[in-house]
Amino acid sequence: MLGLQILIDGFAISSLYALGAIGFTLMFGVSGVLNLSHGAIMVVAAVVAWLFAGSYGAGPYGGALVGVLAGVVTAFATYLLVVRPIQTSRSIPGEEKEIFVLTGTLLWGIMLQEAVAYLFTNNPKTVRPLLPGVVNLLGVRTPTNEIVTAAISWAAIGLLWLLVNRTRTGKTLLAASINPRGLTLLGFELSRIYILVWAIYGVLAGLAGVLLGAFLGVSSDNAGTLTASAFSIVVLGGLGSVSGSLVAAYVVGYLETLTAYLISPSIRTVPVLLLLVVVVYLRPQGLLGRR
Amino acid sequence: MLKSPKFIATMVILVVMALLPLGVGGYILGLLTLAYYYGVIAMAWDLLFGFAGEVNFGPTFLVGTGAYTAAMLNHYAGWPIPVCLFVGAVAAVVGGAILAVPALRLSGPYFGLVTLVAVLLLQNFIVLFAGTTGGEIGLDIPDVLAIDAAPNYWYAFGFMVVSGGLLYGLANSPVGLILQASGQDAIEASALGFNVTKHKLAAFCVSALFSGLAGGMLIFYLGTVSVGTVVDLTIGVQVIIAAVLGGRRTILGAAIGSIFLIVAGEILRPLGQLSTFVVSAIALVVILFFPGGFLGILQRGEGRS
Amino acid sequence: MRGGLLGALLAAGLCLPATARAADPIKFGVIAETSAIGGASIPKAAQLAADEINAAGGVNGRKIEIVVYDDHNSAADAVRAFQRAHSEDKVSAVIASYISEVVLALEPWAGRLKMPMITPGAASDDITKRVHNDYDHLKYVFHGYLASTQIADSVCEAGKQLLVKDMKAKTAVVMSEDAAWTLPLDNEYLKCLPQIGVKVIDHIRLSPDTTDFTPIFNKIEGEKPDVIVTGISHVGVQPTVQWQQQQVPIPMFGVSSQATSSTFWKDTNGAANGVVFQMASAPDVAVSPKTIPFAKKYTAKYGVTPAYSGYTAYDDVYMFADAIKRAGSTDADKIVAEMEKTDYVGTLGRIVFLGRDSQFTHGMKVAPGYITGLMEQWQDGKQVTVWPSSAGTAKLAFPKFVKLGQ
Repeated sequence: MLGLQILIDGFAISSLYALGAIGFTLMFGVSGVLNLSHGAIMVVAAVVAWLFAGSYGAGPYGGALVGVLAGVVTAFATYLLVVRPIQTSRSIPGEEKEIFVLTGTLLWGIMLQEAVAYLFTNNPKTVRPLLPGVVNLLGVRTPTNEIVTAAISWAAIGLLWLLVNRTRTGKTLLAASINPRGLTLLGFELSRIYILVWAIYGVLAGLAGVLLGAFLGVSSDNAGTLTASAFSIVVLGGLGSVSGSLVAAYVVGYLETLTAYLISPSIRTVPVLLLLVVVVYLRPQGLLGRR
Repeated sequence: MLKSPKFIATMVILVVMALLPLGVGGYILGLLTLAYYYGVIAMAWDLLFGFAGEVNFGPTFLVGTGAYTAAMLNHYAGWPIPVCLFVGAVAAVVGGAILAVPALRLSGPYFGLVTLVAVLLLQNFIVLFAGTTGGEIGLDIPDVLAIDAAPNYWYAFGFMVVSGGLLYGLANSPVGLILQASGQDAIEASALGFNVTKHKLAAFCVSALFSGLAGGMLIFYLGTVSVGTVVDLTIGVQVIIAAVLGGRRTILGAAIGSIFLIVAGEILRPLGQLSTFVVSAIALVVILFFPGGFLGILQRGEGRS
Repeated sequence: MRGGLLGALLAAGLCLPATARAADPIKFGVIAETSAIGGASIPKAAQLAADEINAAGGVNGRKIEIVVYDDHNSAADAVRAFQRAHSEDKVSAVIASYISEVVLALEPWAGRLKMPMITPGAASDDITKRVHNDYDHLKYVFHGYLASTQIADSVCEAGKQLLVKDMKAKTAVVMSEDAAWTLPLDNEYLKCLPQIGVKVIDHIRLSPDTTDFTPIFNKIEGEKPDVIVTGISHVGVQPTVQWQQQQVPIPMFGVSSQATSSTFWKDTNGAANGVVFQMASAPDVAVSPKTIPFAKKYTAKYGVTPAYSGYTAYDDVYMFADAIKRAGSTDADKIVAEMEKTDYVGTLGRIVFLGRDSQFTHGMKVAPGYITGLMEQWQDGKQVTVWPSSAGTAKLAFPKFVKLGQ
């Protein structure tokens, strides 16, 4: 009974982690950007969804849609206002672009977070669930919303897989992550690929934010933690490896859930941090990463 | 060198800063006192980043280790402040070495992540052992450096000038040049016969020493130690922003950046909760348009004239 | 020409006493995080009180000015603001924060800088215990809210009626966040719940960073208690929403600071329905003749009802103003001496500070006829009072998924 419960709860939270981390790793794989405003973008999406579903009467579905849209808009703003100026800057030497992108997105994330806190306070907000109520899963009472969360996460991940592996556009993305210079030689414009990857990233981050808001609730204070957890999952799985992130998300999700159930909820994140240190020391390329 | 206009200007500025307590109110002195301590932490961070090329996301791991060791020795054992500071600094170096020896085998984002995780672990550790560490509340410290603003200011100012001088000297010494070479191209540096890892480790330990010492001084100024003042990730973020803002790879720029952040926060105080937003926006604009930071702007102006 | 000069001199002469009177207002510093619900109410309510006092002629002919500092919920920022309030803005007293960690960091500074200070919302017992242990240094600190132990006692007192008689609860699980203020709260819960006949079968402390409460609720449900007794403040929206979404069949009862705000219903999308929480004052109960008028005025001015810290901050301004009026001076030691003699009926009830012999030195006296505390419940979008029973109190009502003890 307890085992089944851990299995179900761990699955839902893990699939949400996976959705949150996958955009982050895709972005790094294709354009080499570690976006430290990731958590703040998720928060913006969730708060906008909450605002539209509640105060503006758009209902749960309308709210969720506007929320995802807000995620895309914020992602593009991040790209155009912060990341692109750094990438194209002549006065920043190439080998230092990485730290500038890190610092720049970090500052941008703080700005987003503060703006949300200013406009809507830092009290957590919860997005209206798409399907309220509970169902009985083999004797475990499970909120319908938890199942919806897992299903939508997997649907999004599945669509992403189809896009990358089955379409021409997707294959250019894949190629860009392996060898961006070769791709430009073949006549592809990298800037168009970047725009595409930011669009996909925006949808994934926005969706993850909205689902998180409906499942657990989101506060502007969570922005930093959300970024840190996506970062950890992605490093654990191997930077830039999408399948690695999926595996890592489940390792993290289940390890946290097991700790919370079997040891104590107050040290929920500690075993994950320790595992992370061990993996990074023994296998720096991550679980499924290439060297 | 001794007659260069830059040197003279620096000396004049330092003398003015040293004489500030004669003409400035206690509150401004208090602000600058904090800024100077954070300045030392930022300079220590810049030694590691600007010269050794390692992005340490967890400067507060070193600061926190030093601060908490010093605080607990004073709180429980009642040892005098200088001894607490010394042991705290040693603890920061030991902690730093334990972290650095394996971590330096890693590069780029991995090194960054390990240092980040170290902070989170320290934070969890402090909260878990709340009985001894004071947990979320923190510990109060019986002894403080001084109660009046002026002596506190001079302590911090002297500490910053000495640390800044040492770090600047080190960075511009032959050792500093080797560090810089290893940071930019580790393979070539080792091909030239330098032990890259050993030099980086040394840089990490020096960085840890000054960070730990600054953490200790800071808490003996504040009179309390808590996660929010010396360990929290946001403090580390401030340190990184200060160093990049002031001008990376300059050491002195880091101190200027710290002073700027605190002074700007103060000037924008009437904006209330929006002040953090505006300070971040200013920092972002500087980074985007003047990647050399404040010192970079100054140097460019000099180059033109 | 000459007439003009004479006129000017005359005018200046007439103006002199007036300018001296109106020249320097009495300043109160307010330190709080204004982007949090508990913090936002503090400066707003303090300003309301100052406006009223000024409209009535001020204190000894001087106006009251509120200087607000945002501490971003950081102890270091708060210390900095406190120093500024003292040496730059020269305030006469400080009203500080609703977070125990912040107040405890400020406490030694109140002593060092000899600055009268009161907290309108922090609850840790340590605040007054430190005053008790080191009175000579820390006598400048007053506690304008109930201490955690007193809060727990108030919850247990209400529990005699609500838990034991109405909800027929025999067993409970105590669920608190890991923070300074819950240590004494939990200790007292574990002591006083058994005394009223409710057995505590488990005691769970959760990290204030927790976002997924599923495992916690499932574990509690497995232990089959009749009620969850809460001690939460940093968290609130998230556990409440997840409690409702998972349809945890056990009622939540106790302290839930975020639930005291009127926006809680909206923030939780109505998941708050049925949550029972402790509060010192409520917008619909005439705890004293001042409570309802204050809540009405505040709501009219700011569009939301005050959080718990708003009632106290409002009283705090009045108490400091009265102390200064009686002392006829803004000297710190004189203010403290007069504050100790406070016997004031505020929005919270009758406020009297306890003396040096009490373990809660400079804490508020909690007793019938002074301050008692209330229990409120969210029912269909409204906060209604369910205890102590009087003409206006409502009956407890829970959502369908909650099963009460038999």
